[in-house]
Amino acid sequence: MTGEIRFENVEKVYGDRVLLSVDSFTMCAGNCTLITGDNGAGKTTLLKIFSGLLKPEKTVVSIAGRQLSWQKARPELQSSVVYLHQSPYMFDASVYENVAYGLRAARLPAAEIDEMVWESLHWGKLDHLTHRNARVLSGGEQQRVALTRARIIRPRFLVLDEPTTSMDRKSRHQTYELIQLLRGEDMSILISTHDIEPFLEIVSHHHYLEGGHLHEISIPARSPHGKSSGVVTTFQRQGS
Amino acid sequence: MRDVFVATKEALALLLSGDTGIWEIIGISFGVSLQAIVYVTPFCLVAAFLLAYGDFRGQRFLVSLVHTLLAVPAVVVGLTLYILLSRNGPLGDLKLLFTQGAMIIGQMLLAIPIVIAMAHSALKSSDKIIWETAKTLGASHTRAMLTVMSEARFGLFAAVIAAFGRIVAEVGCSMMVGGNILHHTRNIPTAIALETRKGEFAQGIALGLVLLILALGLNMMLSGARHRFETA
Repeated sequence: MTGEIRFENVEKVYGDRVLLSVDSFTMCAGNCTLITGDNGAGKTTLLKIFSGLLKPEKTVVSIAGRQLSWQKARPELQSSVVYLHQSPYMFDASVYENVAYGLRAARLPAAEIDEMVWESLHWGKLDHLTHRNARVLSGGEQQRVALTRARIIRPRFLVLDEPTTSMDRKSRHQTYELIQLLRGEDMSILISTHDIEPFLEIVSHHHYLEGGHLHEISIPARSPHGKSSGVVTTFQRQGS
Repeated sequence: MRDVFVATKEALALLLSGDTGIWEIIGISFGVSLQAIVYVTPFCLVAAFLLAYGDFRGQRFLVSLVHTLLAVPAVVVGLTLYILLSRNGPLGDLKLLFTQGAMIIGQMLLAIPIVIAMAHSALKSSDKIIWETAKTLGASHTRAMLTVMSEARFGLFAAVIAAFGRIVAEVGCSMMVGGNILHHTRNIPTAIALETRKGEFAQGIALGLVLLILALGLNMMLSGARHRFETA
């Protein structure tokens, strides 16, 4: 059981430019962690490394207390984490087939797949789009398909790379709602975003990436109703 | 000009009358080229995928090698294969020279660099996000590869169709290793070469028309499929 994933001394280099140099980053089961930072700070790079999709030049990975080489950690990361791209890729198939993809990859029986897909389509409010080609949907609808497609395989960790960028208000709101629902289902989520305010209710940890370095930031205290007592608009780096 | 018109009219009459000689040649041509393309396609697509998505030493050299092989003339492939398959050659014991088997091997060798090069560029231009999406959703390497191929299918079809068009029309290799033997290894291009030498233009034109109609049909099929995909 993967309860905690810990990365230490992560370094990613492109050419002679150090993109990422993170001393330590830990993601525990049940957490919802935000990563903020300017464009080019290395958010996507860190998220892809965490998801096992990008190989760092060096790192030490510990999964549930076991220290693993990158070769051994990578398949475990890929099977524990689902990464959603900023603009999710829709396979050239119906919404139904897109949602079923992960279950077919897991070779589940057809009847079980069908039942799970219909339940998930209903969860994602996608019932009316079931047979439409996913490529022709709007950005907001595609993001809902992507979240539903990720949720259906019940990953231990869900990684969302700027999930609401370039969306209109309505789509953004629908996406927030689904992310909140996922939190309600105890999904562990790692989100990179420029817009932290909508996530303040669900976030448990917050990191700020600056020039490839990661800094933990304290979360504002919450009111008894679960609401944040204040909106953080400027970040104070710990120790700065 | 009038001679060409008369010959074309005769050619059409030959085709439409169901002339067994001409349709036998067409059958041999298609049989050989279809077998060649079917045998090489799976290998070439996987090789193209590894060259496009893999990360190994010598990758760039292999891509350059494939592009170099594109430039090798069919007669040179035919000559090499002739030497290998001739009675005193290293593969002489297989007794394949002047058989359809030899023609199939020759056409496979010609098709391989075309399919790999074109499929490689189709896969290289496909977005890496497809692979990442498939992998993060739990696909095995094989399933993720098939997903990428499925998403890039029009580029891959185009590669296979281009290679088929090239091998079904090549004359140099088929002539050398097939020998242009009537009822056995005489295919459309070798028959056209022979009939032209004999001054029998009608049959040559008829066979040429078949190749043209084939090329037109395949390209229309491809553009029709692409159109349906883009307007879906």
